[in-house]
Amino acid sequence: MTSTIETQPSASPAASGTPRTVRVAVIGTGFAGLGMAIALLRRGEDDLVLLERADDVGGTWRDNAYPGAACDVQSNLYSFSFAPNPDWPRSYSEQPEIQAYLQATADRYGVRDKCVFGAEVTGARWDDAAGQWAVTTTAGEFRATVLVSAAGALADPTYPDIPGLDSFAGTVMHSARWDAGHDLTGERVAVIGTGASAIQLVPAIQPRVDSLAVYQRTPPWIVPRTDHPVKPWVQRLYRWLPGFQKLVRAVLYVVRELLVVGMAKHRRFLRPVGRVARAHLARQVRDPRLREALTPDYTIGCKRILISNDYYPAVAAPNAELVTAGIAEVRPTSIVTRDGLERPTDTIVLATGFHVTDLPIAERIAGRDGRTLAEVWADGMVSNRSTTVAGFPNLFLLVGPNVGVGHTSMVYMIESQIAYVDDALQTMAAEGLAVLETTPEAQRAYRDLIAARSRGTVWLAGGCASWYLDRHGHNTTLWPDFTFRFRRMTRRLDRENYVGTPAADRSSEVAA
Amino acid sequence: MSVGTPTRQRRTAAVRTDDGALLHATVDGSDDAPVTLVLAHGWTLSQASWDDPVGLLVPRVAAGELRLVRYDQRGHGRSTWAPGDDDPAAVTIDRLGLDMGCVLDKLAPRGPVVVAGHSMGGMTIMCLAAARPELFGDRVRGALLVSTSAGDLAPEPRTPAEEVVRRLTPGLVTAALGGARVVERLRRLTPPSSRWHRRVVRGLLYGADATEEMVRAGAEIMHASTVRSFAVFYPALGGHDKRTELAALARVPVEVLVGSSDALTPVRHSRHLAEALPEAVLHVEPRTGHMLLQERPHLVLEALGRLLDAAVDRVAA
Repeated sequence: MTSTIETQPSASPAASGTPRTVRVAVIGTGFAGLGMAIALLRRGEDDLVLLERADDVGGTWRDNAYPGAACDVQSNLYSFSFAPNPDWPRSYSEQPEIQAYLQATADRYGVRDKCVFGAEVTGARWDDAAGQWAVTTTAGEFRATVLVSAAGALADPTYPDIPGLDSFAGTVMHSARWDAGHDLTGERVAVIGTGASAIQLVPAIQPRVDSLAVYQRTPPWIVPRTDHPVKPWVQRLYRWLPGFQKLVRAVLYVVRELLVVGMAKHRRFLRPVGRVARAHLARQVRDPRLREALTPDYTIGCKRILISNDYYPAVAAPNAELVTAGIAEVRPTSIVTRDGLERPTDTIVLATGFHVTDLPIAERIAGRDGRTLAEVWADGMVSNRSTTVAGFPNLFLLVGPNVGVGHTSMVYMIESQIAYVDDALQTMAAEGLAVLETTPEAQRAYRDLIAARSRGTVWLAGGCASWYLDRHGHNTTLWPDFTFRFRRMTRRLDRENYVGTPAADRSSEVAA
Repeated sequence: MSVGTPTRQRRTAAVRTDDGALLHATVDGSDDAPVTLVLAHGWTLSQASWDDPVGLLVPRVAAGELRLVRYDQRGHGRSTWAPGDDDPAAVTIDRLGLDMGCVLDKLAPRGPVVVAGHSMGGMTIMCLAAARPELFGDRVRGALLVSTSAGDLAPEPRTPAEEVVRRLTPGLVTAALGGARVVERLRRLTPPSSRWHRRVVRGLLYGADATEEMVRAGAEIMHASTVRSFAVFYPALGGHDKRTELAALARVPVEVLVGSSDALTPVRHSRHLAEALPEAVLHVEPRTGHMLLQERPHLVLEALGRLLDAAVDRVAA
């Protein structure tokens, strides 16, 4: 590995024509990619490269820079366990602070030196003869013994299929691809979608636009946001007494985990949460018709529970309108709804979410038999412990299938997976294995476990269609149980579920 | 629906008044329509109180014959108060007339206009005529006054008991504002879904023919209004008196509608208006109360139709 490559991405291996060979290649530099790299670097494993399509680290938190972007989980919990930050200015951080945290953490552990920016993975193919992944990127070719895909689930925006959207003469932008140079002041703005992004950006832009139309298909459940600035003396306390911050983190974790009881075990425990949400709506919206339009008809928790104190007042503001009629078409200067109303529009903001059940990265990774992950997953995403897939040796997925959580910190799940991958790599080293691959039996067992745990949960039985479920109605995205159970399952590599091939003799496979 | 299907335009607008209130307005129809109709609602109601007549006007809007502006009066619906309204004594019906002027300036800056007001909205029109008489004639070409009054809603006390009420009113307003949260909580105990609530509303506002649905719909609109709007405008309504300032209105066609059993603005108020405006057409509708917009939407539609046709005919002439 030469330093020229790291400091000058333009001098890519492609220019020289020789692929760069590393032990571990990580796709993505968000929480997952950075965390993985840091885990490896901390134990001296430095033959690695991080492939990042953008020009900075941060992933989802770099890309989602729309006004009002913030995290729905307290920062004391939504951060790396090994890198506490005593200086969080608020209990719930906004996007710039989280992005700054990720940048600072990357710098602190020297991850940037391992990053190749502007390297979008266009394809990754398992070369069985060489026992390596051949990875092609927009910044050249790489060969890696181990490939870790940390590309994320909220990475690639979905664009709705609305007739005429292409013909719109004004600006169209996705919340995850916000154009900060476009001034919305005085414009007639349409926001399509009422999910987590929309309820954050609507109150942020409402005061400065001329008029705001929020196009809603299904209303979300919203509970109060208990956000507050962190007092300087508390920050000092965190600094002097790191154990205290750890304790706060643990309390937050436990309180949030209680939601799982209601969502995955006994739905009646969600009723008090529903009452809180209903009272929140009643307090903030007086207009009975608007209130009715904002009242969900499904069990709270079925879709992600959102937290906001300013979304309801924003849609009830004098210049705002909640449109529920459904969009029929977009015309060059307006949006037409199915009730025949045409609203002149200058800018359309698409807060329409991400490709979650159809991860684009899955189309680019081809395994042992040449089939892509997307092809293998055509009938639904399957894996062993959300991390490995049979037929894809030495591939590890972070934030893959059934690892998502809506109620607590995704970073907790990511760190669980990182420990698992790290243990797999150490096992390979200890046993002298060149190739490690999970078995179809293990995958089936894990799929059955997920299906059993998902049965009766609010996500399947709550009466809603959510992005948690794939097109067959199966839960392929969420971890349907307490998160500490996932951590326990991924603490160590389940060696019995893997077939290893020694480096010395790759022709004879070693089963556990 | 495919491209080319007739649609009608809608836009939501927030009109900032000169004293800093934000008025929530809904504009339906094309900017090229030959006439604009501006609707003002009554006390503790909102623009939704016009929904029934507006529903009947949809064909005219869709045909491009009419542009329709509805708005929430300050402190009602989605509209805000102005900073100066913190002093309840400063809020007057005259101010609502100026607000309507702001709505006209911003949302109907050109072309002929017909204005229509229900109850306090009718008083709003009289105040606009008094404050900006120059608008009436060429710009405002017709007015519909529904269930309203030119003044004398709180006559001089004739009995000691009335005198006591008059003297206590300011204190009661202050008390209601101070205890608004308590009052709000009490109101929530008897929502419009309760029969007791609807019986009171029916007795106060509706005539013999009103259906249960009408009462429920009206009660829900009123239930959404704030204690503050009730308390602040109560004395303001008593202070409204434009009986000698109707000259500008006399220049345009005016129709006056009232329910025979209107308890809030009894028929005598409309008779007085008809006397003060000799050209005005007065219609007293039997078996109806104060909520004529709901109780007789077709009657309202016919009156509006005559005024709109007259306004457009003058353009053509």
